[in-house]
Amino acid sequence: MGRTNKRMPYIFLAPFLIFFLMFFIAPFLYALFLSFFRSMGAHRTFVGLQNYLMVFKDAGFWSGLFRVFCFGIIQVVIMLILALGISLILDSSFVKGKSVFRLIYFLPYAVPGVIAAIMWGFLYAPSLDPLLTVAGHTLNILTFSRILYGIINIATWEWTGYNMTIYYANLTSIPIELYDAAKIDGCNELQTAIYIKVPMIRTTIIFTTVLTIIFSLQLFNEPLVLNSLMTLSYSYTPNMEIFNMAFSFGNLSYAAALSVILTIVTFAACMLFMFVTSDKRENSKRSEAK
Amino acid sequence: VSRFNSTTKFQRQKHLEVIKIKKNVITSLWMLLLILIAIYVFIPLYWLVIATTKNTNDLINTNPLLLSSHMNLISNFTALFTYQHGVFWRWFANSFIYASVTAVLVTLFSAMGGYALCKYNFGMSKYILAITVGAMMIPQAAMCLPIFMMEKSIGALNTYFSVILPQIASPFGIFFMNIYIKDAMPSEILDAGRVDGAGELKIFFRIVLSIIKPGIVTLFLIVFIGSWNNFFLPLVLLSKTTLYPVTVGLEIWVLNIMSPSGTGVPLYALITCGSLVCVLPMLILFPILRKYITAGISFGGVK
Repeated sequence: MGRTNKRMPYIFLAPFLIFFLMFFIAPFLYALFLSFFRSMGAHRTFVGLQNYLMVFKDAGFWSGLFRVFCFGIIQVVIMLILALGISLILDSSFVKGKSVFRLIYFLPYAVPGVIAAIMWGFLYAPSLDPLLTVAGHTLNILTFSRILYGIINIATWEWTGYNMTIYYANLTSIPIELYDAAKIDGCNELQTAIYIKVPMIRTTIIFTTVLTIIFSLQLFNEPLVLNSLMTLSYSYTPNMEIFNMAFSFGNLSYAAALSVILTIVTFAACMLFMFVTSDKRENSKRSEAK
Repeated sequence: VSRFNSTTKFQRQKHLEVIKIKKNVITSLWMLLLILIAIYVFIPLYWLVIATTKNTNDLINTNPLLLSSHMNLISNFTALFTYQHGVFWRWFANSFIYASVTAVLVTLFSAMGGYALCKYNFGMSKYILAITVGAMMIPQAAMCLPIFMMEKSIGALNTYFSVILPQIASPFGIFFMNIYIKDAMPSEILDAGRVDGAGELKIFFRIVLSIIKPGIVTLFLIVFIGSWNNFFLPLVLLSKTTLYPVTVGLEIWVLNIMSPSGTGVPLYALITCGSLVCVLPMLILFPILRKYITAGISFGGVK
C-alpha cells in the first residue's frame, strides 16, 4: 500500500500535468524557438536575436502596450469606484431588493465579450441612429481618438458586476461581531465601510486589481470587433499586432517574438503581484507573532 | 444615550424623526443610483431584443429603443435559420460541443488533480501547486498564437480537438478543487474507505466525487461559460467555417458589413438574431445558476 500511495497522486495529477505541459509549456518553448528564425515559406534561417531587436524598435508595439496598460489602470480605478462602491452600498442597511440588483448587475457575465462588443459597437454607430444623437448632435465614438472610451465602457459593462460579486461575497463573510464592536465605538455606516469593510477585503482588492491589469494587457476581442465597424491601427493592442502579424502579414517568426515578449511582460506582472502580496502576509504574520 | 438625558421627550422624538427622514433620503438616493446602473446594464440587451424585430431600413431610420411599425421578427429569424443552409445552427452546435466536452474534461481532471494535491502528502505537491497558482494568472490569450504555431507544425489545425485540447489543463480548476476538497472532504471518510479495503481509484470515483458534487457543478458551469464565450482561441485555430463556434461566426458576419461580399445579405438581422439566440439560454438559466457561479468566482478571495 505504501508504494501505491506514493504513485497515486501522480496518477491523479497525470491528465492535468500532461495537458499543462502540452499546452502551456510546449507552445511557449516552440514560440521561443521560432522567434530566433526568419521563415520564408517552408524555408527557415537562423537570425539570432534579430526579431527581438525589431520588437525593440517597433514603436507600434510599445505604444500598443502602453495603451493597454493605461486602459488597465483606468479599468482598475473604475472597478474600485463602481464595483467596490456598489458592493458596499448593497452591503449597507440603506437599500432594499439587494438580491435583484445583484442578479441584474451580474448578468453581463453570461454575455460573451464578442456579443457585448457587437451590441455596443452598433449602439455607437452613427448610421444606426444611436442614443448619442438624442443630445442634439451626433457624437461619433467610432473614431480613432475616441474609441478607447468606447472600449472602456464595454469592459466596464462586462466586468463591473463580476468584480462586485466577488467583493460582495467577501464582504458578507466578514464576522458580524466586528460591526457590533464598531457600532459601540460610534462608527456610522460610512466609517464602518471605510475603516472595517475595505481593509478586511484588502487581499481580494489586490487580487482583482492585478487580474484586471493582466487581462487588460491581453485586450483583443473588443477592439477586433470594433475594428470591423471602423478602422483601427493593426497594432492597436499587443495581441492585435500579434494576430495581424501572423494572419494578415504572415510573419510568424516576428509574431512569435512578440508573443514571447508579451508572455514575459504578463508573467513579470504576475510575479510582481505575488511578491507584493506574499510580502504583506509575511509582515502581518510577523506582527502577529510579536 | 447620555446625550438625551437633559432633553425632553418631545425633543427626543423629533430628533429620532429627523434621523428617520435622513435615512429615507439616503435610501432613496442610493436606490435611484442602483436603478440607474441597472438600466445601464439592460440598455444593450434591450436594444438587442428590439433590433431583432426590425429590418435593416428600420434599424437605421427609426428610434433604436422603440419598436417600429413593421414587425420583422419572424422574417429575421427565418433568415438566420436558413442563411447558407442554416450555418448558424452548425455554429451553435459547435459552441455546445466545445463548451460541454471542455467543461466535462476540465472538471474531472481538476477534481483528480486537486484531490491529489490536498489529500496526499508528497514532496512535489508544494511545487506543483505554486506553479499552478502562478499559471492561473497567465491568460490563455497570451498562449493562443504559440498554440497555433505548434498545432500548425503537427498539422492538427481545423479539428474539434484543436480547440478543445488546449483548454483542458485549467490552473484555476486545480486551484479551486484543491481548496474545495480540502474544505468539503473529511479525511476520516477516506481512511474509513481504506480500512474497508477499497482501492484508491474506487475511493475517488465512488466516495470523493459524490461528496464534492456542489463544487463539481460550480466548476463545470464556470468552465462551460468561459468556453462558450471563448473567442480568441477558436478564431486563431480555425479557418474552416463549418467548425466555427457562434462567437467567431458572428464576428465574421460583422466583418462582412463593411466588405462587398456582404451586399444584399440581411447582415444586421443575422447578427442581432444570432446574438440573441447565443445569449438567451444562459440569461434565462442565470437566476438558477448564479448561486453556483458566485460560489466559485469568489472562492479564491474568501479563503
